[in-house]
Amino acid sequence: MTGPTLDIQNLTVALPNGTPLLRDVSLRLQPGEVRALVGESGAGKSMIGKAVLGILPPKVRRTRGEILLQGQPLNALSPARRRREVAALSALIPQDPLTALNPLRKIGPQILDPLRRIHGWSNARARDRALELLERVQIRAPERVLDSYPHALSGGMRQRVLIAAAFAPSPRLIVADEPTTALDVTVQKEILRLIRELQQETGTAVLFVTHDMGVVAKISQQVTVLFAGKVMEDAPTAQIFTGAAHPYTRALIAATPSSADLTRPFSPVPSDLIGELHAQIAREDALRSEATR
Amino acid sequence: MADTTTSAPRAHHGGGLNLRFWLPLTWLGLLILAALFAPWIAPHDPLAQDLLLERLPPFFLPGTEAGYWLGTDSLGRDVLSRMIYGARIALFVSLIAAVTTCVFGSALGLLAGFYGGWCDRVISRLVDIWMAFPPVLFAVLLVAVMGTGLTSVIAAIALIDWTRFARVVRAETLGQTRMDYVDSARIGGAQRLSTLLTEILPNVLPTIVALLTLEMGIAIIVEAILSFVNLSISTDDPTWGSMIAEGRNAIHFAWWVLLFPLIALFLSVLSFSVLGEGLKQRFDPVLQ
Repeated sequence: MTGPTLDIQNLTVALPNGTPLLRDVSLRLQPGEVRALVGESGAGKSMIGKAVLGILPPKVRRTRGEILLQGQPLNALSPARRRREVAALSALIPQDPLTALNPLRKIGPQILDPLRRIHGWSNARARDRALELLERVQIRAPERVLDSYPHALSGGMRQRVLIAAAFAPSPRLIVADEPTTALDVTVQKEILRLIRELQQETGTAVLFVTHDMGVVAKISQQVTVLFAGKVMEDAPTAQIFTGAAHPYTRALIAATPSSADLTRPFSPVPSDLIGELHAQIAREDALRSEATR
Repeated sequence: MADTTTSAPRAHHGGGLNLRFWLPLTWLGLLILAALFAPWIAPHDPLAQDLLLERLPPFFLPGTEAGYWLGTDSLGRDVLSRMIYGARIALFVSLIAAVTTCVFGSALGLLAGFYGGWCDRVISRLVDIWMAFPPVLFAVLLVAVMGTGLTSVIAAIALIDWTRFARVVRAETLGQTRMDYVDSARIGGAQRLSTLLTEILPNVLPTIVALLTLEMGIAIIVEAILSFVNLSISTDDPTWGSMIAEGRNAIHFAWWVLLFPLIALFLSVLSFSVLGEGLKQRFDPVLQ
């Protein structure tokens, strides 16, 4: 298949009172591509991943737009069918490895169950695949890890287990929802390296949600910059760092602390720019509600 | 590294837990043995009356008769034997009634917390309405309508107390449902019901077990209350509640008829609640 792995068209997601969380978001992810979703807290980065995977919070609804996974429009499917398709084609590397594993179940069944469900594999085959991946993410005693409870593992180990679990069913798309935020810096590097290596080996497309411009530079080919649920800029990574078109993107990059130059003063995104963007989005919202009335 | 951090709090906790765990367990174990082997243990027939031996004091007071360890009541029946047989009824009611209440209430709580929406609204309103009834009056009313007997007592307990389980389990389920691992299971293709049973239920179970033991204590009390007002099984059968009720009339000249069943009741209820607390801590995944 040559079409995009993920194609989001004019996606609008809103609270029951009509407040939009995502405004008319469109983005494409080609097979094997890594796209970073950046923006400040509350910009709707994670919401895009959740909408794709079908785990929007209760009461948050898609009000407009379409999500195509491997060319298949998800919203046309029945809920059960949609869940099967999403399970077969995509996986999640969660933000917080401490809460993403059920504390009362052993690691083994938590990784193996989806493999058996999705591919109908036997227990032995699923186990072989899980062991292969656990070894690949450099877990030393994979047999023992499968047989232990999550609390026996450190945060970094759990995140590696979750990376193995995400890649194990050979998905076409992985949503990585700030996978390094909850970890300390030394572990972060290791986790990033593993995700990038596995992504390159398998050719899986990755939607990488982050607020860290340093991570963006390391891992992605394409960048989508979000602000208040609206796409500000969508460009190749190199272009974002050398010649960003949108003033918000430029401000975001300027606000990134640089380890090369520690003497440079911290420059946050200017508040008047933020105010101006909010005002502009409010005007557009007003215009749209005029038009629909 | 991981081993040292997880085993340290367990060792620390184990020391404090032991007595609080084993004392109630010992008392309840004795009670279970007494209930199981009542015909062999009890020194006398609990129903045998002997008016020549009425109101004998317990063994440590003067004027006692050998073999009547805790004295006799106004009809000359052996208090100890009646208490041992009473343990049968108390334990039977507490077990059956508490389990029934637990299953019924927890199921509704799980459904309300997990599915939310109208399901939650209907169940939560029902709980609110139910809790507006005064429980003891409600129990008396139910038994009066259904007729006396053990089945009615058990049904009354279940019908009144399911709200306790429904409320707490709903809240706990609500919290668990928002955990990331539930989302992960859903992305992994798990069906809703199987997510509820394999991911959420085990995490809510410690709370349910704690409530269950608590409920056993409550069931003993409710049974005693209903016996006290003569709405449990027939007055011939020895129950702690009816013994307390009869002992009340003779309190000035035979206090032992009232006091010993009261102590048994008190210790049993206390044991159940302390055990519930201990079990909850033992099941807590963080302390494991």
